[in-house]
Amino acid sequence: MKKIVLIGFAFILLIDSNLVSAHAVVTDHTLAFEQPKVNEPKKIELTFNSKVELGLSRVFLVSKGDKHTLLKISKGEKQGNVVVSIPPLSAGDYALLYKIFAADGHLTEDVIYFAVKP
Amino acid sequence: MAGIADFLDSLIGGFDLICFCLMIGGLFWGACILRPWRRQMDYSQEFLQKTVTLITQGGLYLVGAQIFKIILKVWLMTALLNQWPFPEFAETTQFIGGLVRTFFILALTIYCHSKLRHHLHSKAHWLAALALTAPMLISGAWLVHAAGRFEDQLYLMSLTVLHQIAAAIWIGSVFQLVMLWILRHQGKIPAVLWPQLLKEFSPYGIGAVVAILATGLPIAFKYINTWNGLFGTGYGNLLTVKFILLSMALGYAWLNRSAVTAYSFHGNDFELIKRVPYYIEAETFVLITLLFTAASLASQPPAIDIPNLTATWQEVLGTFKPQIPQTQSPTHSALIAGEAGRVAIVGKVPSIAATEWSNYNHNISGIFLTTMSLFAMLSYLRQLTVLTPVNKILKFTQYWPIGFVLLGIFLFFRSDAETWPLGPIGFWDSTFNNGEVLQHRIATLLVFTLGIMELRARLSKNASATLIYSFPVLCAFGGLILLTHSHVGFQPKSAFLIQVGHTAMGVFSLLLACGRWLELKLDNPGKQIAGFVSVASLFAIGLILMFYREPLY
Repeated sequence: MKKIVLIGFAFILLIDSNLVSAHAVVTDHTLAFEQPKVNEPKKIELTFNSKVELGLSRVFLVSKGDKHTLLKISKGEKQGNVVVSIPPLSAGDYALLYKIFAADGHLTEDVIYFAVKP
Repeated sequence: MAGIADFLDSLIGGFDLICFCLMIGGLFWGACILRPWRRQMDYSQEFLQKTVTLITQGGLYLVGAQIFKIILKVWLMTALLNQWPFPEFAETTQFIGGLVRTFFILALTIYCHSKLRHHLHSKAHWLAALALTAPMLISGAWLVHAAGRFEDQLYLMSLTVLHQIAAAIWIGSVFQLVMLWILRHQGKIPAVLWPQLLKEFSPYGIGAVVAILATGLPIAFKYINTWNGLFGTGYGNLLTVKFILLSMALGYAWLNRSAVTAYSFHGNDFELIKRVPYYIEAETFVLITLLFTAASLASQPPAIDIPNLTATWQEVLGTFKPQIPQTQSPTHSALIAGEAGRVAIVGKVPSIAATEWSNYNHNISGIFLTTMSLFAMLSYLRQLTVLTPVNKILKFTQYWPIGFVLLGIFLFFRSDAETWPLGPIGFWDSTFNNGEVLQHRIATLLVFTLGIMELRARLSKNASATLIYSFPVLCAFGGLILLTHSHVGFQPKSAFLIQVGHTAMGVFSLLLACGRWLELKLDNPGKQIAGFVSVASLFAIGLILMFYREPLY
């Protein structure tokens, strides 16, 4: 029986997952009602449903061709708020890719899409 | 590699809960049911030693699981953030709480090993061990889902810990019952202990289940506030699965209780010896899966937080809607052409070819499984007296496991479209230079091998126990994987609509495993019923796959 259980565990280990489990999710963000303007730096506020460990979290700006740029993040005024500083951007489609470590120990990876219009 | 770390992280959560039940449930079992200080003569030294050993082993593995969890977090963060997470990680609640909990578990384990083991009939030592669980249980509250919440944090943390204790009391006792049966089977305990302890466990188990519901339901109402939240989110979906598994386990518990009650009236222990142990084994399969599902649930965002990403119950039902299976595959070149757009973040273009490719793979696999299960059902039905005239004609149906072999070959060709034999990347190059392709290749080989093993197990009269039990155990593992392998990705609603079919298949895989297990263990008519339930579950999995439609994303 031990052999069968070992085979079972081996079976489990063979199956990979490509996405990171998520508990912390963005429940609200300022991009929903205010898109950045061309060549204007912007501070975007993300509101999470859980406490976030800022030192272990990263937010990237993804531009055309999936180029990643690490953005500066800071704590917002309210609990669960993370402020993301976006540099001046030219017109086009962009995304914010965030990797967040929540206080409950879960790492979340997700994307918010936005556009900069002329 | 981040994927492997993440997946191990969700698995270690289930393993952690199993060890937790072994330890906490074992201590409650000893102090509340066995009460060795009141029955000096009833229990042998060996029996009590084994009971404490199971508790200690649970504790030791729990320490290992807790440390491994921290290592996995470090691994995962290093892989995802591309940097060493210290010193920041050392300041988090998860790291500090994890170490504190590990220390308390270790202290309790050392106490059980060095003190309780030498004073097995001492009430003071059993109660001291129970008291020592308190700091470990309380410290665990900072590691649960609720610890990161803003509202009702303390209330939810307390309820979660109480819920875990109630579950541990029930499930840990079932683990102890399995050990009790093994000892009874080996003749190492007096025969009378088996019915006696089963009877004493009955009201205790009911109390634990009531406590599970009393603590679990308020948490569920806090995290889910609509019907769509229950049926249209990953959190609600896994909670529904937990209810289904709980009902299955309670079904077995009811069979056990009925057998114990019948024994009390008639004194005939046939059912207690020939059926109850196997119901308990099947119940153990279900409870272990339940624990892994519970761990997986903790990685889902609560339904109340994602009203905009919730599917409607109509959309969920739609994923099971019967429809003509897709038997025509898009061309390989169409699939490859759409891949760059599909995987892009900015400028993403959903690939119709990729969706249809996946639909075709699922639907054809469904046709394989449905056909196999129909043959399997016929192989059972041909034993009926009504079908005696055609018995010989239907003999070929016993070869139904060959379907797994054919399915393995099909998956080999279709799993990785970019590699040999369909794609430009060579067999060896793709197998050893791409982790995902390697996993697919080995999984395919496993399906192929499983078919051969099950065929030999069913046809050979002298098949070894390892060969015979491989199929149900691997099916149970498969079900466990389908239930724990639930993730919210960049498209939570689409990911959920894919997940909902897979969790349904996970439940049926477990039914398939339990059915086959009981078929191998029980006498008739239970044997035949269990066997039929088993292949009917395979049929249900086949139907889900046959009607599968992947959302375009």
